Amino acid sequence: MLQGLAQRWKNWKQPSLMRRLLMAQMAVVALLWTMVIALLLYDSYEDPELLKYDKIFNTVLAIAQNMSGQPAAQQQTLAAFDAALLETVGDGDAASDSAPVMQVWQGDRLIYRSTAAVPVILNTALNRIETVRAGDREWRARTLASTTSDTRVMLAEPSVWRLTVTVMYRGFYLLPLVISLPFLIFPAWLSVRVALRPWRQVSKETSERGPADLTPLSYSPPHKELQPLVQSINSLLQRVRDSTSRERSLIADAAHELRTPLAAMRVNVEALKEQTTDEGQRELMGNLLRSNDRAARLVGQLLQLMRSDAVSGHGLPVMLALDALVQDRLAMIEGLASARSIELELVCDDHVPVLGERESLMSMIDNLINNAIKYSPEGATVVVRVSREGAQAVLRVTDRGPGIPGALRERVFDRFFRSPDQSQSGSGLGLAIVKSVVDRHGGEVALDEAPGGGLVATVRLPLAGADAPQHLQFG
Amino acid sequence: MNLLLVEDDLDLGNGVRIALANQGMDVVWVRRLDDALRTLDGGTFDMVLLDLGLPDGDGLDLLFRLRRDRQILPVLVLSARDALNDRLRSLDDGADDYLVKPFALAELLSRVRALARRSYGFNDETIRMRGLALHEPTRGVIVDGEPVELSRCEFDLLALLLKRTGRVVTRRVMEEQVLPGGQANGSNSLEVHISNLRRKIGQGYIRTVRGIGYVIDVQSLARSASK
Repeated sequence: MLQGLAQRWKNWKQPSLMRRLLMAQMAVVALLWTMVIALLLYDSYEDPELLKYDKIFNTVLAIAQNMSGQPAAQQQTLAAFDAALLETVGDGDAASDSAPVMQVWQGDRLIYRSTAAVPVILNTALNRIETVRAGDREWRARTLASTTSDTRVMLAEPSVWRLTVTVMYRGFYLLPLVISLPFLIFPAWLSVRVALRPWRQVSKETSERGPADLTPLSYSPPHKELQPLVQSINSLLQRVRDSTSRERSLIADAAHELRTPLAAMRVNVEALKEQTTDEGQRELMGNLLRSNDRAARLVGQLLQLMRSDAVSGHGLPVMLALDALVQDRLAMIEGLASARSIELELVCDDHVPVLGERESLMSMIDNLINNAIKYSPEGATVVVRVSREGAQAVLRVTDRGPGIPGALRERVFDRFFRSPDQSQSGSGLGLAIVKSVVDRHGGEVALDEAPGGGLVATVRLPLAGADAPQHLQFG
Repeated sequence: MNLLLVEDDLDLGNGVRIALANQGMDVVWVRRLDDALRTLDGGTFDMVLLDLGLPDGDGLDLLFRLRRDRQILPVLVLSARDALNDRLRSLDDGADDYLVKPFALAELLSRVRALARRSYGFNDETIRMRGLALHEPTRGVIVDGEPVELSRCEFDLLALLLKRTGRVVTRRVMEEQVLPGGQANGSNSLEVHISNLRRKIGQGYIRTVRGIGYVIDVQSLARSASK
């Protein structure tokens, strides 16, 4: 539970392009709205609502003039109108700080004032909104004079950033923002997600590429932003492919070129050996021939490895009978075994079909059996079993050799790795070839201790047939 | 026996020439495709040992020209190319055998002799191996001087094993080539035939390689029996 939460938090904390885009969109919306509100605020400061409408002034002037004969009614009407203004513009409380103030003069006589708490506010010019200091506050004030008499009306609002007032009056601007922000997030998320679909396609295809598959991406997006990315991925793949194949052909060519001098050395030494009867010389020449053998084997294995690693398999996978193939290879190698007085035995199920490349499978079988023969003591039996187990074809090679310590059983598949307490000559490539071939055929290989001592190498390959799934990686 | 050796590598060519000459064969050694063609026109040869990668062309061209001119001269290809495709291509183009470099001298010699045997008309020859002699046209078998009566299957099995002396013949090949009805014939009948054969020719010749097949070794089984 806690771990799940921690994982979720970690996921959430990880930077995400999606989130960046969403944040950016939200920020833009918020910024736009903030600017709108700022404009409104400024506007309401520069031109307070109340002072903008000439009609209000004219109404007050009309009341003051028309009722100048009846001062009591005039006072009453002005007060009622003032209250109405207070209700509309202020918060209805005449004593509050934000309440507007109305003052009406006839001639030099002040005939009405909203509240005595506010001293007389005088504009320096008519019909202009000005900031005037009166009492200990600043006011935005405007005075309008009647055209027909000497009546003047002054309306003033306290000169403050009247946020609350603005919000109250311009709430219809703010409300959509507050309501729509959460609703904006979902469409924004959805649109970003849809827009990023080609991106996900590219990343999916890229992730499917492995060391064995260096072909260019098949998806070529038309989008301006993705095209350079895909192009650079493809050119990177191309460069890797080129350099791998250059390296591979260099190794293959070198191995190839080594064969003729090795053959020359061998033939000459053998001819020489036949001509001499001196035991000491014959022994030395025997050593030469053995070294020659080793070098020749290494060259052969290098070529096998380069072939089984080849990115574009030249041979198409074909249906093969693993049992028959193993029997053939054992018959070929038997000479080597009998030269070392080692008996080969094959125990075999009938009809074990696999889908694969004949030559790589042959080199896999050869290497496994050669190893078993090499490490078995004289007179021992190497047992090879081919069987069907479920959906798998299983090849087991059991020898009576010293085995491989558990800790080294994974490392012996590495190229040129040789067990340190190893007295037999060898290139260290045999098991690397086996591994490479098995991997290419979607199988697995394991080394275990054989019951009764020795090593058992087990190769499992997918059984071919309609009911068996295949995982082949042929290019 | 007259051999034409076409090999551009100095050390290898010279070594092979000397080794074959030591075995009493007459070897003409050339290093270029042109020279090979001229030499072939000029003399009679029993066999060609052919390297494929030559400085002035591919050895397969020579092979192609030989086969186009309907020459049945046996050709043994010596090549550094060991891929199955290369071998198959050479054999399809008319090579009689294919040996990958580096090879053991003994193997080269035995293949040269085998090719020579075949080209001289193998069917007329008697195959001899230790105390065994098998004459295919008359289907006669002689063991230590005494003629032995074999059934058709037994004779075919023995001939198959003798032709590939020293190499294991797989059970599958035996069943397919010799037994009537091939593999469908029951898994046991091959053993029955072999044990009958052993009873008739003696126990020392045919060695069982369990699960794999049978072999007649070049050297007597006494070596392994003494262990």
